[in-house]
Amino acid sequence: MPYGVYMGNSEQVKKSANMNAIVLEEVSKTFGDLRAVDALSARIPTGSIYGFLGPNGAGKTTTIRMIMNILYPDSGRIEILGKNSVEQAREKLGYMPEERGLYRKMKVRSLLSYIGSIKGMRRSELARGIPKWLDTVGLKEWTDRKVEDLSRGMQQKLQFVVTVINDPELLILDEPFSGLDPVNLELLKGILLRMRDAGKTIIFSTHVMEQAEKLCDFILLINKGKKVVDGTLDQIQSSYKSDVVTAEVEGDTRFINDLPLVKSVTRTGKRLEISLSENADTQELLQTLVGRVRVRAFEVKRPSLHEIFIHLVGQSNAKDS
Amino acid sequence: MRKILKVAQREYVETVKTKMFLISVFLMPVLVVGVIFLSGRLMRESVTGPRPARKIAVTDLSNELSAEIERAFEQYNTSHPQRQLILKQLSAEEHDLDARINKLKDEVRKGKFDAYLVIAKDVVKGGDKSYYYANAKKVADLLLFSTVRRLLNDAVTNTRFRLHDLSPQLIAELRRSVSMEQVDVSSKTGKKRGEMAMMMTPFFFLFLMFMGVFGISQQMLTTLIEEKNSRVMEILLSAVSPFQLMVGKIIGLAVIGLTLVSLWGIAAYLAAASRGMGDLVSAGIVVYFVIYYILGFLLFSSILAAIGSVCNTLREAQSLMGPIMMFLVIPMVAWFYIVQHPEATLSVVLSFIPPMTPMIMILRIAAHPDLPLFQIIASIFLLAVSVPVVMWASAKIFRTGILMYGKTPKLRELVRWLRYK
Repeated sequence: MPYGVYMGNSEQVKKSANMNAIVLEEVSKTFGDLRAVDALSARIPTGSIYGFLGPNGAGKTTTIRMIMNILYPDSGRIEILGKNSVEQAREKLGYMPEERGLYRKMKVRSLLSYIGSIKGMRRSELARGIPKWLDTVGLKEWTDRKVEDLSRGMQQKLQFVVTVINDPELLILDEPFSGLDPVNLELLKGILLRMRDAGKTIIFSTHVMEQAEKLCDFILLINKGKKVVDGTLDQIQSSYKSDVVTAEVEGDTRFINDLPLVKSVTRTGKRLEISLSENADTQELLQTLVGRVRVRAFEVKRPSLHEIFIHLVGQSNAKDS
Repeated sequence: MRKILKVAQREYVETVKTKMFLISVFLMPVLVVGVIFLSGRLMRESVTGPRPARKIAVTDLSNELSAEIERAFEQYNTSHPQRQLILKQLSAEEHDLDARINKLKDEVRKGKFDAYLVIAKDVVKGGDKSYYYANAKKVADLLLFSTVRRLLNDAVTNTRFRLHDLSPQLIAELRRSVSMEQVDVSSKTGKKRGEMAMMMTPFFFLFLMFMGVFGISQQMLTTLIEEKNSRVMEILLSAVSPFQLMVGKIIGLAVIGLTLVSLWGIAAYLAAASRGMGDLVSAGIVVYFVIYYILGFLLFSSILAAIGSVCNTLREAQSLMGPIMMFLVIPMVAWFYIVQHPEATLSVVLSFIPPMTPMIMILRIAAHPDLPLFQIIASIFLLAVSVPVVMWASAKIFRTGILMYGKTPKLRELVRWLRYK
């Protein structure tokens, strides 16, 4: 099983104690009878985009709230930016809660300078940061307007600016993409990638797999409070052995159907989609093909996160019932 | 600390900018002064101001008073030119008397007369009752009754004097009042203070304390619930700790309260000084007021912060406020007693029930400038000790309650929260 692919390499983990922006160790939280988070462990590497993935009610928000010390874990340990409590790291954090909200009666500029100042920013930093960020998200003309005058989409962008105004080292975003239109979605993704490239760590939760697939360096998949799988997208995908290959070859291809390692072949024009039989190796197939025909393209089709997710979650759900 | 001050600053600036604040700064004194001024003026108006003439019918069964009655009414009309009484004397012949009395009662009922007086037969010797028939529906008629009774009394006593060969002029001369003036030895000018003003000064301080502590700490509930409902809370808590947030809000609101109370206080002082009553307020009481105000506010707004943190709507908060309100209502109800008996056991006991202490103590100090100093010190000490205890407990509840949505927790749960580390 690909369980703990990233954690598996304990050498690397020890060497890079400071390379983790957040460490969760056996963290649990129970609400009444509901075990919202169940002995969850994870390491979130510095400088990466890290996705918390899972269906609604999986425990993503609870985990994030425990990281933010808004909820106390019943047991387990949380380390954040090398500190044992978020209290000591607050000024280096940007947090966007799942439920959005701002002071509606305040002006955009006063709101940002208030939030910035309680995050420890100096006046000069505010004077530089506020126009820069408002410009980045296209809200510059709204600087002196009241928050309630802004449209819903603009308020969402302002919410993001509130989160990043203090130029945080670590960004924690709970469902940041929900409710954004495609243009603003791309804008936000672009900003996040630039921030990652500048060395920031970004954690976000989502239940939309495609977003995670495009954006994340690391992924933690949780379901019913338990870790299902974590690691880089590559690691996760490659550990799910694919049994489908697409290939383009020149020449007579009828022999492929008769190969022992092939289950079935579908042809669309020159393109072949080959399903392998159980335990067959894609490399063996490639070798066989190269020996017989001219191969123009050969690709092991990777399972999408969505497929892996359905596969794993379906499994665990089946186990439970 | 810097963050606490930032929170306080925002609370202050954003509240002072609201229309509600401006309205309360100006409207409150206008309202209070207006009510006092108007009610005083109306009261004088109703006693001495002009009024339509009243018609009074009189039947004198004794048959010896008509001249004196006439004179008494005339005297009244001369001294009250704006509120004339029209007298109509009706003969008191024996036959048909009951029928005539009934007829007149009916006329009073219909409004032809405002009142009908039947004077008893042996009124001068003093035996039977006289009767006064009037529509008692109107409050104004009550006043007329006492006027008529006084006039009848004058007429009867004057008749009695004459029966004893005493001239009414002599009697008036003998009953002349002595001349006397009250001098206040504690005031520099030696001027007498109005009794009313002396009663109202403690009440004014009580009222300032009430508005300053209660009126402003209400704002705590409003802003907390607003922050909870608009979900700003989680963002704030990602930057500041719940304790910093709570203390910052308390400080911000306390300063708002001080601003408001000093504006009102200064306005009231100027108003009093312009009428030569500036010496009703000493520097000492102002110092005590500030001490009690700050301690009282910290205590009270901490309690409200805890309440606000566990509620989702103002309505829920209001119902939790019920028991707390008792602490405010008792001083408002008991003030008259306390002002007159500042050293009574009840007054002392009430002074040492912390949420009431500031209001009761300021009332007692204002009413009795020489209150035992140890009582003042003990009450300040008691408050100074309760403030951190209450703040600690409130911070615990605040910490857990502030991000709870949904059902308001039961008291038992709140107690459990106190034990969280």
